Amino acid sequence: MIKRRQQFIRALALLGLVVLAFVGLGFRLMDLQVWRHDELVKMAEKKSLQTTWHPAKRGDILDANGNQLATSVFVKTICADPTLIGGQQAIVARAIAPLLGMSGADLYQRLIPRVAKNSKGETVTNGLHYVRLQKNVTDETWQKIKTRMSQLTFGVDEKKLSKANRAFLRSLRQYAISAEPDQLRVYPNGPLAAHVLGFVGTLENTNHTSELFGYDGVEKFFDDKLRGASGWRVTGSDSRGKELVALRDEDVQAQGGLNVVLTIDAAIQHIVESALTNAAEKHAPQGITGIVMRPRTGEILAMASLPSFDPNNLRSINTNTEPNRVISDVMEPGSTFKTLVISGALNEKVVKLSDSVFCENGVFRYGGITLHDSEGHHFGNLTVQQVLQKSSNIGASKIGIQLQAPKLYEYMQDFGLGAFTGIPLPHEASASRYVHPLKGKYSIVQIPMGQGVAATRLQMAMAFGAIANGGVLMHPMLVKRLEDQNGNVVQRYEPQSVRRVVTESTAKQMIEALKTVVSKEGTAPLAAITNYTVAGKTGTAQKVVDGRYSSEKFVVSFIGFFPADNPELCISIVMDSAKEGGRAFGGALCGPVFSEIGKRCASYLNIPPDQISPPPAAAPAVVASAQTRNNMQTP
Amino acid sequence: MAKNRKNQSAAIRFGPALKALFLCLLIAGSAVGYVWQKSQIYQLGKQIHQKEVRLAQLARDNKKLDDQLGLLRSPVMLDQRARELKLGLGPVPPMNVFRLQETPVVAPENKNLPRQLAVRQADARTQ
Repeated sequence: MIKRRQQFIRALALLGLVVLAFVGLGFRLMDLQVWRHDELVKMAEKKSLQTTWHPAKRGDILDANGNQLATSVFVKTICADPTLIGGQQAIVARAIAPLLGMSGADLYQRLIPRVAKNSKGETVTNGLHYVRLQKNVTDETWQKIKTRMSQLTFGVDEKKLSKANRAFLRSLRQYAISAEPDQLRVYPNGPLAAHVLGFVGTLENTNHTSELFGYDGVEKFFDDKLRGASGWRVTGSDSRGKELVALRDEDVQAQGGLNVVLTIDAAIQHIVESALTNAAEKHAPQGITGIVMRPRTGEILAMASLPSFDPNNLRSINTNTEPNRVISDVMEPGSTFKTLVISGALNEKVVKLSDSVFCENGVFRYGGITLHDSEGHHFGNLTVQQVLQKSSNIGASKIGIQLQAPKLYEYMQDFGLGAFTGIPLPHEASASRYVHPLKGKYSIVQIPMGQGVAATRLQMAMAFGAIANGGVLMHPMLVKRLEDQNGNVVQRYEPQSVRRVVTESTAKQMIEALKTVVSKEGTAPLAAITNYTVAGKTGTAQKVVDGRYSSEKFVVSFIGFFPADNPELCISIVMDSAKEGGRAFGGALCGPVFSEIGKRCASYLNIPPDQISPPPAAAPAVVASAQTRNNMQTP
Repeated sequence: MAKNRKNQSAAIRFGPALKALFLCLLIAGSAVGYVWQKSQIYQLGKQIHQKEVRLAQLARDNKKLDDQLGLLRSPVMLDQRARELKLGLGPVPPMNVFRLQETPVVAPENKNLPRQLAVRQADARTQ
């Protein structure tokens, strides 16, 4: 009886143990499968699933003929995991330092694991597994680094090492040095059109990837179009970290950014920049700018500002070189402004070109101030056309008085002064605070000669473009179209007119008057281009220094277009504070630059001449139809 | 009443044996098929990976050549080369260029043209 009871107790105990074991297992099962399910799933996925990012290629910036002005190259950023290197820093450094272009000692230091302290003084090991060694490494170099790492020897017979040590060395060779995809922005022509293109900066993401973003110029304005969208891939991997294609979960291809095709012609841009550089060497100005545009469409073919920078070398960018003076500098236009005043007066039929204006023999007192004509000129009676030709300040002021302040203000606005031109570039100034309704006592005599009013160089060039275009002001056009990476057009930009400012007949009269400026009797005979009729106007404006007009520093300019009666190109040259000071004027300093650029552009674009000069002695060198451009010429 | 097993016929019963064999074959076949399919998937995955690597390499080469072409066509580069090689190239004076008048081409008078057009229209209608 007792024996049977004992047996029963034992069986019961055994049953209890079994039940307890099952309860334990069940508890563990619940723990793993229910309570910690999410956490463990994440851990498992982290081990077996890997997410790789595909950076989107930033779109190119191309010139009007498809020449690359800015492009992106995929490169690698080489990183190291110091914890996987152990004490083998010297061997690794010796192997890869020459390929990375670093000194062995420097690399050795960077491969040593370090524990950093954060701003709160806490010890952090976040950076322990990640050290960035070198950026912008080519794919070829990365392949060489991989090969060299896989062939590393440590001076020991690895077969005799323990399993753990062998695994350590294998892991060192495979994973200690890694590469991350990166992009390098390249400007193949160096500083060419730097102010138009701008430059890019690098944005560091939290997942150790970096992204390019536009910092200035077209790069900034069209940043969202150029950037594209990154792709990613979530995929399973084996124990060695190799991708198992069959286990791919998400695979989204990167969408490259759009290419921006500009109206800028790289050859013309080069012509302009070469001419400006020569002029800068000769006259040592503080700054010099040039614009070449098509008056009929408003297309900007070249826009240059010196001093410039090389966007490939960010160290060349500083406060002196960075600003695009063409759109951001606001200056008094000087005598070029007389063109707008006389256009308005002609359009309002207040004066005719043949009307006579008495220029007070060079001294004109008005409301307590005294005006003088430049260069000590003492003009008596001049026709309106001669006022423009000789650039008489007094003549222009008197015409301004006849036009009257409200109308003059109206024309200033109609010509686009005081408003953004709408060019797709950042940092454009409107100069709106300098274009006012002429309420000052002397404004009506001061402003017509180009003082007391201010505009950007682009605004003045567009205003001249309006006269060249038969009186219609155009929007400046810098971008022709946006294309995808395969060259399909996504968006096309067409020329847009802003408004008609003066009638066609007024514009024709103005062109006739502006032609005389480039004659021997005018202020800019040096701006003439052989075989082409040029119309234009010089400007020499005193700079304001410490609130007063300086007698040393001048902003000199020449804005003109040709062939005058059928304008193909409008060119603006502005020089700030040349070494000649007040001894030289716009016609003398900027005229030759205009002429040089015009001559070379006419040849490059094959613009038919409108003046017949004696035929050359030599046989004709080139035979071309009127519509074909000779692409074989160098600019 | 059930028969005694000792009294059962000694002849082999093929029906159940065949059934068992078929079942075994089915299970074994499924297993082999499953492994073969997995192997194929793995092989195809490897091939896809290789092709992707090759495609990326070709895209890189293409881009590199494109960049080289861009550099060679760059006006700045061409100007520099022309200066270096002292080829004596320069702008052509405008008067050295003959301009040919592009007159519109006038088709020769063809008396049969109206008739041909009529025939073509008739053909078009019948199609």
